[in-house]
Amino acid sequence: MSGNRSYCDGMSRRDMLHVGLGASAAGALGLSRAVAANSASGKPGVAGTRDDVSLIILFLQGGLSTIDTLDLKPKAPAEFRGEFNPISTVVPGLQVCEHLPGVAQVADRFSLLRNFTHHNSGHGAADHYMLTGYFPRPGFNGSLKPNNHFPSHGSVIAKQLGPRGSVPPYVCLPKMHRSGGSAYLGASYAPFEVEADPNAPDFSVPDLTPPLAISSNRFDARRELMKTVDRFKEKAEVTANSGTRALTTFQKKAFDLISSPATRIAFDIHSEPESSRDEYGRNSLGQSCLMARRLVEAGVRCVTIDHTNWDTHYNNFEVLKNDLLPHLDTGLPMLLRDLEQRGMLDTTMVCVMGEFGRTPRVNQYAGRDHWGPSNTILLAGGGIKGGRVIGATNARGERPESDPVGPEDLSATLYHCLGINGSDEFHTPEGRPVKIVNDGRVLTELL
Amino acid sequence: MQIQFRHCSIWMLVCLCGLSADELLAQVQVHPQHVSLKGRDSRWQLLVSQDNAGLSEDLTRSATYRSVNAEVASVSPDGVVRGISNGETAIEISTGGLTHRLPVTVLGSAAPRRVHFETDVLPILSRFGCNSSGCHGKAEGQNGFKLSIFGFDPGTDRAALTQEGRGRRTNRTIPDQSLLLLKASGGMPHGGGIRIRKNSGEYQVLRDWITTGGLAGDPDAPKLVAIQVTPHDTRMAMDSSRQLQVTARFSNGREIDVTHLAKFQTNSESLATVDEFGLVTTSDNPGEAAIMASYLGEVDVFRAIVPQPDDGTTFPQQPVLNFIDGLVDAKLRKLNIHPAGLCSDADFLRRVYLDIIGTLPTAAEARTFLADSLPDKRSTLVDSLLVRKEYADFQALKWSDVLRVERLTLGHKHAYTYYRWIREAFVRNRPFDDVARDIIAATGPLSRNPAANLFRVAKKPGEVAATVSQVFMGIRIECAQCHHHPFDQWSQRDYYGMEAFFTQVNFKSTPADQVLIPNKKDATKHPRTGDAVQAHALLQDEPTETPDGDRRRLFADWLTASDNKWFARNIVNRVWAQFLGRGIVDPVDDFRLTNPPTNPELLDALAKQFVESGFDMHALIRTITSSRTYQLTTTPSRMNERDEQNASRALFRRLDAEVRFDMICQVTGASEKFEGVPAGYRAIELWDSQVPHYFLSLFGRPVRATACECERANQPSVAQVLHVLNSPQIQEKLSSDAGKLAMLEGSIPDDGKLVEEIYLAFYSRFPTPDEQESVSRYLATADNRRKAVEDVAWSLMNTVEFLFNH
Repeated sequence: MSGNRSYCDGMSRRDMLHVGLGASAAGALGLSRAVAANSASGKPGVAGTRDDVSLIILFLQGGLSTIDTLDLKPKAPAEFRGEFNPISTVVPGLQVCEHLPGVAQVADRFSLLRNFTHHNSGHGAADHYMLTGYFPRPGFNGSLKPNNHFPSHGSVIAKQLGPRGSVPPYVCLPKMHRSGGSAYLGASYAPFEVEADPNAPDFSVPDLTPPLAISSNRFDARRELMKTVDRFKEKAEVTANSGTRALTTFQKKAFDLISSPATRIAFDIHSEPESSRDEYGRNSLGQSCLMARRLVEAGVRCVTIDHTNWDTHYNNFEVLKNDLLPHLDTGLPMLLRDLEQRGMLDTTMVCVMGEFGRTPRVNQYAGRDHWGPSNTILLAGGGIKGGRVIGATNARGERPESDPVGPEDLSATLYHCLGINGSDEFHTPEGRPVKIVNDGRVLTELL
Repeated sequence: MQIQFRHCSIWMLVCLCGLSADELLAQVQVHPQHVSLKGRDSRWQLLVSQDNAGLSEDLTRSATYRSVNAEVASVSPDGVVRGISNGETAIEISTGGLTHRLPVTVLGSAAPRRVHFETDVLPILSRFGCNSSGCHGKAEGQNGFKLSIFGFDPGTDRAALTQEGRGRRTNRTIPDQSLLLLKASGGMPHGGGIRIRKNSGEYQVLRDWITTGGLAGDPDAPKLVAIQVTPHDTRMAMDSSRQLQVTARFSNGREIDVTHLAKFQTNSESLATVDEFGLVTTSDNPGEAAIMASYLGEVDVFRAIVPQPDDGTTFPQQPVLNFIDGLVDAKLRKLNIHPAGLCSDADFLRRVYLDIIGTLPTAAEARTFLADSLPDKRSTLVDSLLVRKEYADFQALKWSDVLRVERLTLGHKHAYTYYRWIREAFVRNRPFDDVARDIIAATGPLSRNPAANLFRVAKKPGEVAATVSQVFMGIRIECAQCHHHPFDQWSQRDYYGMEAFFTQVNFKSTPADQVLIPNKKDATKHPRTGDAVQAHALLQDEPTETPDGDRRRLFADWLTASDNKWFARNIVNRVWAQFLGRGIVDPVDDFRLTNPPTNPELLDALAKQFVESGFDMHALIRTITSSRTYQLTTTPSRMNERDEQNASRALFRRLDAEVRFDMICQVTGASEKFEGVPAGYRAIELWDSQVPHYFLSLFGRPVRATACECERANQPSVAQVLHVLNSPQIQEKLSSDAGKLAMLEGSIPDDGKLVEEIYLAFYSRFPTPDEQESVSRYLATADNRRKAVEDVAWSLMNTVEFLFNH
């Protein structure tokens, strides 16, 4: 009990110091080995028995048209089935869109949730629903950033699993989605925002390295000088105040980040061989996938890629065919192959989703509008078995035919695979207990 | 309601075999002095304790118990007496080689018990968390079985158990096959696990209720009047434990022990924790913890005073500058925490600037003040700051947060006039009761009465009621919108009584404006019972008829009356928190039974003086800043280093995003041009909290979506630290040719003088000889003096001394 000092973010400062020290010291490896040993002896697949799985969420903001990509309806009337034809994949019986030939080649690595559905078809609330597993409360203002009523998956992961090594546990690429925040978990679990496009020629992460004008010698000299001008450094004041203790912890983390080769190298996409950068595709989506792989390799637990422009109300087919799908079709398969070749696919879950699907009936502008009731989700790695299709939508792709699953179930599954107990509770500042998962079911059919 | 409970018995230990004088004096207390058990399964938790050097030591779990006649009553090793059959007997309690006999009477043990839902079943469902928000109490229930949250709707809950679920939840013929019992006891898979063991007392009660036909409640049955926790307040040692006992008292005078059915919660995990059986355990921090017990909507609080152990030093004798010091000292003496010494002039200067005007003193201001030798220079400084424009800027910024000056909702023009109206109140130092009254009862066109904008950000009557309660009373009532407040006394009726004050708010649009014209709308309706609820403030009687006129005026009058329990206390508490870094009630907007003030006498005295001064903010700030308590140093001693609650020393406080950014601009002389306002505006002058700015959002500027103080994020992050360390924006300010650092470097050739000037600008103090020497050396040995000055400035900017108010 002693010294169990908790803050409004619910985490004890001493615990955090503990995590920070344990993880930044070489002990991190020992710890994860201990956990791995535990999982070998314990019940397989039970939440809390492994903590070596990372998560990459590829969020296709605007809403992926799943009826045109992952759940085609070639037998539906023309105004529903659209312009695209299905093609076969390496998995017998599993078909995807003709403009996703690369995806078709790796279909044995992923599974599709075609019985996924939810009731909301508005940006903002649906985004929040998908990125947190909770539908926002009344009074939700989607235009705020962050707008979270509930913490994002990445924040929950950061809080429950803590950092691994000196890299931040939760990173958003290229910037944080408005629902990517930590809500009542507090700023400590907010994502590290890259705030720059990995595809930009001069890409670098803001503030991670000293400005160009400051040489590393000068930075070191500054740090030395800082020690002599800090009246309170290592004084009783700092340890006797919760506020200064926290700052000192974060300063140490910041200096670890700045001086950590692991972080610098992970974020230095320029050090990736040109050939590999080309293979991922020289576009924002492709390079974000590559960056996500690098970050997970360096120890980041959750990377959320926010890729925009999927809101295809107009010229859906043109935009998909010429612009969006080619990027997805290079970046995603390459990511899965690369993870596999590096032996990381078993410990890295990839989740591809939009906030909703799109209306099965094509609108007058050759576009499709928002559609929550059918929204196929693609999942791979991290314990997900490949080559499976779960559920089916009806003949026109309007909604699941049976056994629907929703964002709560997806959250339950993600957390389960990462070793997080979904029934653990957090407390909001008002003292309301909120479970990590809002009553979702772990989708064991995927595992 | 205050009611009389049985008193403890105290008996002196008899000297048996050469006990020491100390032991002779030791007093052992047993609670209660006589146990009277009525009815089947009745029980009582005994408490045994002894005084030990002014601290109460709990012996409940270490004492041994024996029933003289086990056929009449049994007793468990942890001191729970249970009635077996009618008769009289005694429990022998042995501790320290001595034995005490406690008489026990058991009555009515054979009478068949009539088990009622509301009084017998509901407490069990609550106690085991069945109706909590994580389980069946959720709005959508759990796996098809839904209970009302915390059991606020017994009728529906009873129906859910007896009628829904195809009648399988309760089976009168084969009660053990009832889903309720099977699920709860592990006879069937249950997502919530095994909650109630088969054949436990609770299981038996549920079973009896099912067999006797699932009775709802007896309308003539005695009503629960109050609960009382024993002990009520106690001095406990650090790292010690203490069993609580909870007595429920009914309208017919009957008392029963409900310790096993009560729920417990601590207000401060860092001081004391409590387990589900009511065992309180203190930590190694001194202070005062409040432990709440609740049972069927009634609450009571146990207060544990945990003094700092002596270290041989005596309580320091220091001047009492005003009533604050006397009251703070009194509390500190109680906790044996020693106050720190007085802070230096330089510390006072920086602290009072940042607290009153949210602005760092300039080097010239610092020099003047430090050189001043007049004895009253500290109070003169306070007076001069209160009339500066930055005082109004800074206070307007803070109040615009909680009064929600939100451009996105209000529109540019109205948000700006609303802000100006708030700011003007501080420019003129308007009596704060007038300010509150003008907002709460605002009518007319927005252009003429911008205060009415509050009713456009908080649109629904319930939202207004919750906002007004939180901002002006420091009370969060929104929980009670849907259910009885889980940690306080507020019922849904209280919530809707408050809401009813605001149901008449109505805006009419004219081409150029919007006009608030109250309509004639009736009172509001209780959402569950459908009864009309008349406007009535918290703890006030509900009128039988709807009063005429705008009911907001009635509320405003009640709120700002000199005897109002909350208004003045809430305002002084907010100001106190601004100046001392922690509210006497903390968080400042969370006054509740279960979050008591750390120093109620001080809160009362401050509020009394505030009322007597005519709600004068300047006077309040003068009082606080002229106390010795405000002027303490941050240097901790062993006798106060564990205390952050009781104002025993000055705390390090994080600065608001706007203040911090202005400080950086000021010390570098590189001002910022913000979007939407003319050049020269400082961050604390921004009326719109949505002005795009990376630094301000990063450091936790609120978006004003709620009236909660907590929206201003007070949490550091790695990204914040990195930004000040590394960002090109900050480096640009440091190296700006037009900035102050370049100017100083160019105009002060002497390194020592230059260092002094930089220290005065950043830290508002002169450097120590050591600092002067080492920093001067850094400048002297650098290849490039200008860059070396930037390095010094960068180093100073990233220290705890610069980044905090202290």
